[in-house]
Amino acid sequence: MKRGAGPRRTSLFRKYFATLFAAVVAPLLIAGGSEAWLGYRDERARLNDILNAEARLAAVKIDDFLDGIREQLGWTVQLPWSEESGERHRLDALGLLRQVPAVESLTLVDAQGRERLFVSRIGLNRIDSRADLSLRPAVQGARANGAWFGPVRFQDGSEPFMMIAVAGNRSSVGVAIAEVNLKLIWEVISGIKVGRTGDAFVLDGPGRLIAHPDINLVLRADEAGQRPFQALRGAILDRPGEAATGRDVAGETVLAAMAPIPSVDWSVIVKQPLAEAFGPLYGALLRTAALLVGGALLAAGLAWWLAQRMIGPIRLLEDGVTRIGAGQFDHRIELKTGDEFERLASRFNEMAAELSLSQERSQRIDRLKRFLAPQVAELVDRTGDDSVLDGRRVELVVVFCDLRGFTAFSVRADTDTVIMVLRRYYEVLERAVNAYEGTLIRFSGDGAMVLLNAPVSIPDPALRAVAMAGDMQRDVQELLAGWRALEGRLGFGVGIAMGPATVGGIGSEGRLDYTAVGNVVNLASRLCDSAQDNQILVDIVAAQAIGAAIPLVALEALDIKGLDQPVPVFAVGTHGTQPAK
Amino acid sequence: MRFLRGTFADTTRRLGRRGFIALAGGASWTASVRAQGLPVIGYLGSESPERYASRLAAFREGLADAGYAEGRTVAIDYRWADGQYNRLPALAKELGSLPLTVIVAPGGAEVALAAKSATAKIPIVFEMGGDPVALGVVESLSRPGGNLTGVSSLSVEVSRKRLEFMREVRPTAGRFAVALNPRSPTSDTQLKNLQAAALSLGVELIVLKASAEAEFDAMFTATRDEGAGGLVFSSDPYFAYRSQQLAALAVRHKVAAITQSRDFPLAGGLMSYGGDFSQSHRQAGRQAGRILKGEKASELPVQRVTKVELFINLKAAADLGITVPLSLLTSADQVIE
Repeated sequence: MKRGAGPRRTSLFRKYFATLFAAVVAPLLIAGGSEAWLGYRDERARLNDILNAEARLAAVKIDDFLDGIREQLGWTVQLPWSEESGERHRLDALGLLRQVPAVESLTLVDAQGRERLFVSRIGLNRIDSRADLSLRPAVQGARANGAWFGPVRFQDGSEPFMMIAVAGNRSSVGVAIAEVNLKLIWEVISGIKVGRTGDAFVLDGPGRLIAHPDINLVLRADEAGQRPFQALRGAILDRPGEAATGRDVAGETVLAAMAPIPSVDWSVIVKQPLAEAFGPLYGALLRTAALLVGGALLAAGLAWWLAQRMIGPIRLLEDGVTRIGAGQFDHRIELKTGDEFERLASRFNEMAAELSLSQERSQRIDRLKRFLAPQVAELVDRTGDDSVLDGRRVELVVVFCDLRGFTAFSVRADTDTVIMVLRRYYEVLERAVNAYEGTLIRFSGDGAMVLLNAPVSIPDPALRAVAMAGDMQRDVQELLAGWRALEGRLGFGVGIAMGPATVGGIGSEGRLDYTAVGNVVNLASRLCDSAQDNQILVDIVAAQAIGAAIPLVALEALDIKGLDQPVPVFAVGTHGTQPAK
Repeated sequence: MRFLRGTFADTTRRLGRRGFIALAGGASWTASVRAQGLPVIGYLGSESPERYASRLAAFREGLADAGYAEGRTVAIDYRWADGQYNRLPALAKELGSLPLTVIVAPGGAEVALAAKSATAKIPIVFEMGGDPVALGVVESLSRPGGNLTGVSSLSVEVSRKRLEFMREVRPTAGRFAVALNPRSPTSDTQLKNLQAAALSLGVELIVLKASAEAEFDAMFTATRDEGAGGLVFSSDPYFAYRSQQLAALAVRHKVAAITQSRDFPLAGGLMSYGGDFSQSHRQAGRQAGRILKGEKASELPVQRVTKVELFINLKAAADLGITVPLSLLTSADQVIE
């Protein structure tokens, strides 16, 4: 049996598969997705807090570096200036240089703002130059605020330096101004680690790099090269308090947070590579993704299996129906699913069985039709059952009729006319037989034999027979009126008898006839022979069956060949003509 | 096997002894490097390995900071001038013709300049006490340009401070002797520097010159004969690498002297003031490491070692009848008792 690769079959499987798959995967995806999103949000908030704390811590460390220098400078402005105090101040200043490596040189200014001492690691020391420095911003700033931080400058275009000035708590102790090499913040900044590989850097107000774990970037003092740092700071400033993502100098994407050092207007920025910061999250996401993929595969397998299970019986049914449709009625669909499919299969099986039966019957009828008279065959065909042909005994009404004077007419008339006349005659008879549900057994020349109540039982067969005979007489007499010009002796008579007779298919292998056998047949034939033109003769059984429904006239009893006694005869009508003996 | 041995012997005979050594040396060097597949540093030294020992140790520390170890992850091919500075250009040229990753030229401007003239392709890391911009070694400190970068200490710039310290030790002296190496590229600037300092300190300078060990003795004799308060050495690697010798002479001639190198007071001399060479050589090692890792010399800023250290030997001071003032003891990074 050909298994058609029809698109509908495939699409049904696909539909089932898609639906089942979606039913499992959709909730899985929603759950996984929402978990990932929430995880990302939480992780982002946590990183935000961590990085901000790291930034504050780093800012405190850098601030401590500056504060340490400021505090050390404070020691050099304890002693008021007098003529004798020069040596003490000098020792204090030299001590400071030794203590604080970041201080390159130190200037001490007295209460009047004059330079009293200058000590340097590189240049020559100056004692009591008394140069007026009172208008210097360092001196004025320190006097006003106690401490003053100058702008960052890059010496020889490379090393960052800054001036720090500190005033004593009395004006007489003057001001200490230190030139500080900010390169030494490197020791602080390179010690700051964020996470595993994250680090920190420092920008001044205008955005120049002051400190970075890679000192070369600072020393390069390269404006273009420092744009990534400024961009990162800009990104953080755009959303204050939040860690921002950006790119560092190496082009790596980083998460960064910032804390300011207000006293010097610097920004300390800590950064961590995004990949590292989100490392745990990525791990979790990867696990979720793996679960999702695993779940989806499982769902796909399950959906495939289920769809296969649903489609399997349908295919089996389709296959079975195709076979049955092709005439293979002995095919049975074997389904033991215990559900609607199995019921459907058994319905199909029943249908196949019925189809098989009806086919058998129709085959038998077809076979019968070959032998039976067309009218009987048609009857059998109509009732769909040839059991009507089985031989049995029934109460039968037999009607015989024939034309009078037809033999003489056929001799004289030409063949065409004879055939035309017979055709019209048969038509008239057939119409009447059909109208009263009679069974036309045969035409023979100008005669015909009709049965009522066999093979199909009908109510009031005698009454019908008489009514049918009446119609026949009326119509045939009309025809005869036209034909009497050709032959004056043409006439039409009918005989009706009722009684038990054996009916059934009687015949040989080559020819089967449905017919009746019994006295009643002879009697009807004899009555027909006895009837005059335009007369319908009825036997006593039929007459009794008709009763008063149709007027009948009792005639003289007739001697019938083969019967010992004369038979009572009735004629239809109100008056009767005694038939010929 | 016999055939090979025969050929080898024949080649040896034809080339002669010198040729064979050169061939063998060259072959072994390339073979070892090729076998290991390591990057190679060319190291140009103005003196002998013995004199460079402490510097080399510092340099190797710097390489280790960058993650390199000699013999394991990097090979070093050395060239030594053994104190004959005129041999430096030839040695540098030799290195310049080798397939090196980087040339390290530590120990002063002479070495750096020799390396610079030998190659414009191989990156060079220098280490010197002078100002590399003023000496024309690099274009700027922040962006060196070309194929050179390196480390500079403040030794040359602080030679005037040595005069200042000597003056503090001998406050009554009116004249001081200054030792210069006329072959040093920085001698002129140092002399000007010192003369300006002398002017502001109100002292007279006697300029003594020496560019060979044989001339050392004469400087000390002259210092003593001229009645100078002390002998101030200008910054010069030739002097620095011969600190022991100078210290011995100072002790012998009873001359108060100050040099740039801590080795001098450690060997019995009075004082030293200058850059910390262990820091600067270590820094040079780190720079070389970064170049080995693929960074460009032109983009590595010149590193300045800002630390300048003062060493005082109190025993030498006592022998010279000097009382070291408190201000100097306060400033001293190390006082040798």
